[in-house]
Amino acid sequence: MNVLATRGVKVPHSLRRNPAILLSYATVAALFIAGTLYTSGFGSANNIRTLLLQASFIGVIGLGQTLCILTGGIDLSVPWTLTGAAVLTSILANGDASRLPEVLALVLVLAVGVGLVNGIGVAYAGVPPIIMTLGTNGALQGLLLVYTQGGISSFPPLALNRFVLDRSLGLQNQLWIWIGVVLLGIVLLSATTLGRRLYAIGTNRNAAYLAGINVKRVLVIPYVISAVGAAATGILLMGYTGQAFLTMGDPYLFASAAAVAVGGASILGGDGHYVGTVAGAMVLTLLSGLLLLFSLGTGYLSIAYGGVLLVAAFLASLKLSRR
Amino acid sequence: MSETAVDPSVRGRWAAPPLRLARRIGLVAAMPYLYLVALALAIYFLQSNLLTGSGAIDVRATAVFPLALIAFGQTLAIFTRGIDLAVGGIVSTTTALLATHGGTSGLTLGVQVAAVIGLGAVAGAFNGAVVALTRLQPFIVTLATWSIWGGVAFVVLPVEGGATSPGLISLVLGSVLGVPKSVWGIAILFAIWLWLRNTRFVVDLKAIGSDEARARLVGVPLVRRKVQTYAISGALAATAGVWVAAQTASGAPTAGDQFILASVAAVVIGGASIFGGTGSVASSIVGAIVLLMIPDLVFALELTSFWSVFFQGFLLIVAVTISSLAITLRVGRGR
Repeated sequence: MNVLATRGVKVPHSLRRNPAILLSYATVAALFIAGTLYTSGFGSANNIRTLLLQASFIGVIGLGQTLCILTGGIDLSVPWTLTGAAVLTSILANGDASRLPEVLALVLVLAVGVGLVNGIGVAYAGVPPIIMTLGTNGALQGLLLVYTQGGISSFPPLALNRFVLDRSLGLQNQLWIWIGVVLLGIVLLSATTLGRRLYAIGTNRNAAYLAGINVKRVLVIPYVISAVGAAATGILLMGYTGQAFLTMGDPYLFASAAAVAVGGASILGGDGHYVGTVAGAMVLTLLSGLLLLFSLGTGYLSIAYGGVLLVAAFLASLKLSRR
Repeated sequence: MSETAVDPSVRGRWAAPPLRLARRIGLVAAMPYLYLVALALAIYFLQSNLLTGSGAIDVRATAVFPLALIAFGQTLAIFTRGIDLAVGGIVSTTTALLATHGGTSGLTLGVQVAAVIGLGAVAGAFNGAVVALTRLQPFIVTLATWSIWGGVAFVVLPVEGGATSPGLISLVLGSVLGVPKSVWGIAILFAIWLWLRNTRFVVDLKAIGSDEARARLVGVPLVRRKVQTYAISGALAATAGVWVAAQTASGAPTAGDQFILASVAAVVIGGASIFGGTGSVASSIVGAIVLLMIPDLVFALELTSFWSVFFQGFLLIVAVTISSLAITLRVGRGR
């Protein structure tokens, strides 16, 4: 990969040149067809909308995770940032929708804070992202347990639930939000200088530094976006399910990383795109739906997810060695 | 983790002088022992019976032993610049298996224990093989297998509970020659390390961690070592699972998850470099003891117990930041 060329190239690592992303969409199609073959109701508009809704949560968190992984890192603090945002919103708003604007603003500011802690640790102190974010995740869990004393008794305002599920122009608001995030992701990665810099850092951090990129400053950004995304997902998820609970974030640690990997991104960084992560989120959701058809529960889902991650990461690594 | 983990753009220059001094007086190596002494003193002055009361050592050692086992394996993996996240799933599956088939299967206790530890070793060997033979990073491989083994645990035992065979519980309870079995266990781990640290095996692991390309050139058998490392880590995790299952006389599908952060924290607090190449299992075990003294400190300070979860995560962050700064500075000046 000619990193110096990133300064002149208009659209680096463009989607057309990434067969892995096409492969992930082909997998989405294959899984969907498998579902419809097994039971005709699978292909109904209603079911598709439900699947997309479920995938949208992984998708929103997936943007931040994609950015972190593109720069050669990862954000493992996603579960408790998500849960923390939901729980905090639920407790502070206390069922009162009129308090939501201030509460949401506070929660998002706190999320930015979490992202800054992660980002500064990774970028300025050189802490490996796995360990930094693992530590932040644990610290957040501790803080939340102290704050809630282990239990939550309040419920989120009904207005939140209505907002997430209400339809505008035929699609639930949540889906519109995801579409917005997808557009944001595409623009950010394919059409901004920031996106180019993230790819450069992920491909070869030394070369990026020598090419004049302020690596330390830029490297903080993916972690801030990831934390904000996780907080937003937590709030939206709470709106969708109607409640906040302490284990709500757990599945998303793995799901967000797996979605990015299945979407064809290289775990080493520098290769991949959010568009792939979108497919990855859909693959994971479809797998979950298919397993449900066969009455296979959480355990089998975890096994399937692990296997899928392994295969996807392996295929992506093969691509690298051919360069 | 990016391939180029250390580079000129990441340099905490402001921290250089104090860290240089610290390294010269051996402070960095002594860190875990300092933490230990500091915590012990604090707890002693606040509520001494936590340390000297009857059964105090036994209770603490019982909690430390499984973490020490897992931290042992985690240290070896980290020597090679890797990490083992799958330990969580292996511990969970081990407790799940023992709790469901322990009482009812016709196998004797010895066979059961050998079987689950063997399973842990095989699971670990698989991790090691994938890491060694593909370009995949250890954390992604073990993240995937953590999910797989966690899933297996759920399939075997969907809800916490079950019943382990009665013989298992008596295996871990009690004392031998007046010393609690858990203390013996920890002492044995120290003894094993004293022997192991001078073997070719550990020297090779540290070589792989410091400079894998160079290690390959001087003839270090990379594939064999990596498979061995993760196999040992898996076996140790399964052993810890046996202990936990015996302790709680039950199994749980998520029993192992807490050990992931804890084992990595123990290793980091113990002073091993997360980039590989240096460190000591003994220090990691001390790190485990330090980590598990935090709940006592929290109790002695009369804070709610939930604060210990926070402080353990916080301590990890602090320890790893100090460790990372020390590493980046040293390489920044050229090795």
